[in-house]
Amino acid sequence: MPKILLVEDNEMNRDMLSRRLARKGFEVAIAVDGRQGVEMAQAAAYDVILMDMSLPEIDGWDATRQLRAAPSTRSVPIIALTAHAMSGDREKAIEAGCDDYDTKPIELERLLGKIEGLLGRNGKP
Amino acid sequence: MTARRAPRTAKPRAAGQPRRKPADEVARRLAALLKLSVEIGAAPDEAAICRSVVQGLHEGLGYGFLGIFLVDERTGDRVLEASVGWPDAPPRLRLPPGRGLSELPLQSGRLHYTPRVSGKARYVPTPNRGSEVDVPIGVNGRTVGVLVVESGKPDDFDHDDLEILTAAANQAGLALARARLLGAERRRADEHKALLDTMADLTAELELAPLLQATLRRAVTLLGVTGGELAIFDEAKRELVVVASHNIGKDSTGTRLPLGEGAMGTVAETHEPLLIPEYAEWLGRSGKYADITVHSVMVAPLLVGSRLVGAFAAVHADPERKFGPDDLRLLNMFAPQAAVAIARARLLEAERQRANEQKALLDTMADLSGELELSKLLQAVLRRAITLLGVTGGELAIYDEAAQELEVVASLNIGQDSTGTRMKLGEGAMGRVAQTHEPLIIPNYQEWAGRSQHYTWSTIQMVMAAPLLIGHRLVGAIASVHSDPTRQFGPDDLRLLNIFAPQAAVAIENARLYTAAQRQKQYFEDLVHNNPVAIVVLDRDHHIITCNPAFESLFGYPQAGIVGRDLDELISTDATRAEAVGYTQHVLEQGPVHGIGRRRRRDDTLVDVEILGVPVVVDGELVGLMGLYHDISELLRARQDAEAASKAKSQFLAHMSHELRTPLNAIIGYSEMVEEQVEEIGHGELAPDLRKIRAAGRHLLTLINDILDLSKIEAGKLELLVESFDVREMVDEVASTVHPLVEKNANRLDLRCAAQLGEMRSDLVKVRQTLLNLLSNACKFTDHGTVTLAADRERNGGGGDWLVFRVGDSGIGMTPEQMAKLFEAFTQADASTSRKYGGTGLGLAITRRFCRMMGGDVQVASDPGKGSTFTVRLPATLEVAAPAGH
Repeated sequence: MPKILLVEDNEMNRDMLSRRLARKGFEVAIAVDGRQGVEMAQAAAYDVILMDMSLPEIDGWDATRQLRAAPSTRSVPIIALTAHAMSGDREKAIEAGCDDYDTKPIELERLLGKIEGLLGRNGKP
Repeated sequence: MTARRAPRTAKPRAAGQPRRKPADEVARRLAALLKLSVEIGAAPDEAAICRSVVQGLHEGLGYGFLGIFLVDERTGDRVLEASVGWPDAPPRLRLPPGRGLSELPLQSGRLHYTPRVSGKARYVPTPNRGSEVDVPIGVNGRTVGVLVVESGKPDDFDHDDLEILTAAANQAGLALARARLLGAERRRADEHKALLDTMADLTAELELAPLLQATLRRAVTLLGVTGGELAIFDEAKRELVVVASHNIGKDSTGTRLPLGEGAMGTVAETHEPLLIPEYAEWLGRSGKYADITVHSVMVAPLLVGSRLVGAFAAVHADPERKFGPDDLRLLNMFAPQAAVAIARARLLEAERQRANEQKALLDTMADLSGELELSKLLQAVLRRAITLLGVTGGELAIYDEAAQELEVVASLNIGQDSTGTRMKLGEGAMGRVAQTHEPLIIPNYQEWAGRSQHYTWSTIQMVMAAPLLIGHRLVGAIASVHSDPTRQFGPDDLRLLNIFAPQAAVAIENARLYTAAQRQKQYFEDLVHNNPVAIVVLDRDHHIITCNPAFESLFGYPQAGIVGRDLDELISTDATRAEAVGYTQHVLEQGPVHGIGRRRRRDDTLVDVEILGVPVVVDGELVGLMGLYHDISELLRARQDAEAASKAKSQFLAHMSHELRTPLNAIIGYSEMVEEQVEEIGHGELAPDLRKIRAAGRHLLTLINDILDLSKIEAGKLELLVESFDVREMVDEVASTVHPLVEKNANRLDLRCAAQLGEMRSDLVKVRQTLLNLLSNACKFTDHGTVTLAADRERNGGGGDWLVFRVGDSGIGMTPEQMAKLFEAFTQADASTSRKYGGTGLGLAITRRFCRMMGGDVQVASDPGKGSTFTVRLPATLEVAAPAGH
């Protein structure tokens, strides 16, 4: 069962997305801010990290940069979740080291497609 | 000798090419020409006219070498009357007729321009190797001379030069014509006067005073009386004036007697002779003769026919002598002869006086050219005409070319002031001569059929009218009138009027030109003076020459205090000095400059100004510059405020949309999730309601996104991401994306793409979005119909191809009113449309803004009930000069 780390500060979005991913058969761990996200990613191995960009403590871009800088998390796939059409957000996300991005509100099918794509690339189920 | 022609133009230009000139230069040339024409007009003779022409062209308009040759009518020689730039010219150089450039106009009567003079063509002995203009000088249609203008440079004359030189030569011709006419007339007047003088010398008795004395003495002798008096009748005052007096006890010469007073007054009234046996006892004696001691008096009127010309009195100082019937018979014989002699002498006297007056008038006629104030001149012209012609009164009209009417501008003693009366060509006496260009005498005006209805009040008897012409051009008309039925106009009057009219015409035209030039000058001055923009004029050394009141109030300096000061020292600060001096230098060296800067007021406060500097060029020579300062501090403040407000708005919108979207995400996400779950837990009947919640949420989300897009476009924050893509691929992708929407209302999509659409370099996402917006609208408003998407490429050799996309539908269509506000935000055809078809009303507003951002536009054509077609035209290659939105 693929393990997903969802880094999201908004409680409802977190709850909703984690439950919907769980229903699709993923094991979902949750971090509520960037700092916790980095700590958790370094403490355990995840197949994909879904990273909200506007986070308290450390924002999503910084968190991504830190993960990319650490050897243990250098190659874990990260999907940035960005607000709609905020110009530059997605470019900044890719620049920070994200593998892909998706815009909120989440369309589950689309997000699943991106997750599957990254998992496949890494040779995992 | 080379022509020394000052450089008059900044740029070389092709000969014969008209060149646009700035208004100040045109005004300056006009002023120079006008000055020239005034000087020519004031020149007393032919030589002076020629000198005025060459001097005026040299000093006023900068021509370096000029000469005027006039043809000597007696010998045919060409005589150099005046020259400039030819110091070693032989005075009054004479050349026989020959072959050369200056001979050409004399033969053809036309101007000849020789852009490159070859040595062989020389006729006038100057070593000119440049270019030459030879202009004919015409008098009454005959070429009498030539104006020669040379330059050391080839191709140095342009179209304007030729026009100016032609105008100057025409002026010279007119002036020469006038001078010749005036000369001839003056000679005739001189001859006339000389003849009269000679006649008077030869026949002494024709002189009035000696004649009267002689007549009196002859009568005294004839009658054998002691003495006598002779008086002539002053018709104007209805009085007798004693003009000769002999031996009556005192010299009574000069005594005036009204009709009925005294002995002579009595006979002048009764036209009968009178015998007074004892004068001292006569009751009718005049008090003016109380001191004389004559006894018997015999008096007779002097009559020509029934017209009284004077009276004669004979007296006896001897109380013994009485007058008898013999005396009366002698008197009756003598009186008519005396009367006729006196009348004839008086006529001659009057004639001579008139000849003298005419000569004086002709002598002073040139004064008219000097008066440049139009209203004064017109009065003077009319007064002079009336005096010259010896008429009762007259009027003067000028021709209004625009209205094709004459307007009476001066009126004198014609019974009523007719000033301001307007007449069409052909109307009345002046209208008639204005039309025919011929003078006209109307012997009995009261019975003339052509009378204008404007003159029904007139009681005048006789009218003589003449057109005022310059060449064939009508300037005005003049009329002179007699109210005395016995006075008739004759050939002499017509001759005088013919001399007078052309001069009056030239004088009026000069004054009119001058007035127009003055008005134009005044106009420009007012324009500067009343301009709200601060204007300052500098010389080439950056020193202030003048400034307008707006400059005074903007910078706080009175003009008087700053004339001669260096502008940049005055109004720049240490920080802006280099910039200010740079602007000034740039204007002087390279041309106009436009910028925005900050300048210092007198009180050391700073003001933000828009600066415009333009060179002032007079006659091709840079004489200084003009600086315009527009206070933009308010404008800048307003812009800063607007920018701050816009930034705040954008931030607010970005923030708001984020805040709105977060709970919306939850609504949409949870409703989706629950929708999946209700089927699983067996409550499928709730699924439709959940779908409605989700659909409403999605709609709200689209709305928020559109508002955000629109506000970003309007804040200039939406960027273009230009990339190259294949148009056909893009269209196919759009077609497949829109497919579900097409099918929703049972519509059919008709895709028509041109074979070679090729590549496009633009913002792919926005092009796609544009087409999707239009297609989704078309699908929404069409039911069981056809939606068309056509794409074409409009080739344009220059590489600026356009891609044209047409989205058509067979839907409900729109009225022109609906179309008019179609692309405005939040506008659908009407409120019910929104309820029926949904949508935010922002799609088309965004579409149009996208198209314009990409250098194109979208248009719509529609018929209500038949459908609509939207046409999007976009440049195939979008050139992004600067990133949009920055």
